[in-house]
Amino acid sequence: MSRHSAINRFGRSSNPAFSRGFEGHTESLPLSERMTLDGAVNKTGILLSLCFAGSAIGWNIPALMFPSAIVGFILAMVTIFRSKEKAGSTAPLYALSQGIFLGGITLMYENMFDGIAIQAIGLTFGILASLLVCYKSGLIKPTENFRLMIAAGIGGIFILYMVSFIMSFFGSGISLLSPTNGSLMSIGLSLGIVCFASLSLVLDFDFIEQGAEDGLPKYMEWYGAFSLMVTLIWLYLEILRLLSKMRSR
Amino acid sequence: MNTIFFSVLAIFSLFVFMNLGKIKASKKQTDRDDRINRFGSKKARGGQKKTHSTIIEGESEVIDDEDKK
Repeated sequence: MSRHSAINRFGRSSNPAFSRGFEGHTESLPLSERMTLDGAVNKTGILLSLCFAGSAIGWNIPALMFPSAIVGFILAMVTIFRSKEKAGSTAPLYALSQGIFLGGITLMYENMFDGIAIQAIGLTFGILASLLVCYKSGLIKPTENFRLMIAAGIGGIFILYMVSFIMSFFGSGISLLSPTNGSLMSIGLSLGIVCFASLSLVLDFDFIEQGAEDGLPKYMEWYGAFSLMVTLIWLYLEILRLLSKMRSR
Repeated sequence: MNTIFFSVLAIFSLFVFMNLGKIKASKKQTDRDDRINRFGSKKARGGQKKTHSTIIEGESEVIDDEDKK
């Protein structure tokens, strides 16, 4: 029996383990305590502004780059695995610290390739805007299979990053990931990673849209904005890497 | 010069995002059969609607083996 015909025949599972703990909880919430689309967008705007402010600091004080990257990573882990409820306080700090990191790394790339930063920022926001239009208009429809495909792709990329990270301790690394490797294979890999990062944005939009429809608790506005920020930062870094590979040719 | 460029681009991007983001997704996007059910919502989504009920309505009848004979 196919999955869809099983769902049609028996309905969806009522197993609470699959409902992420929100079922029933949302119905008892007053309207003012529920997640809204406007709220999530406003919070994303706040996080983006903080990221811009942070990048100005990182651009002027590049020494803060690595400490802020570590702080940002810890804050991201805390937000994802420990306290979604506290995303209202951890997400702004995450955006600020990652902004400082991005400012520093952008300056590094800019010193190597003049004008790369403006191209990367333009491309990142261009992709964000076009995918937002595609999602809102229903041109791109995220389904379970779509999510599975993105999850599998991101899993593969994560393993690649981890292998490269471990190899870096032994003085080597995966040359395909090097920003100065201008081979077609390396550029193709970066292009693939940029595609996966871009399509992850669609899942984030869908998360926010559905969260607002289902009336999740208010703190999920911050969590939705945070997840969008994580994807945007990843996308920006990958675009920077892709552009530097193309410039190295 | 770079700072001016960055600031203009940042403000413009924020403005575009804030305006686009607040528009609700079209019905084509929200009313679909194959939408991801993330939060176990009870709200009837296309994918959760049962197309055929397995319950047959009406009075039940007792069937005796003797009737068949």
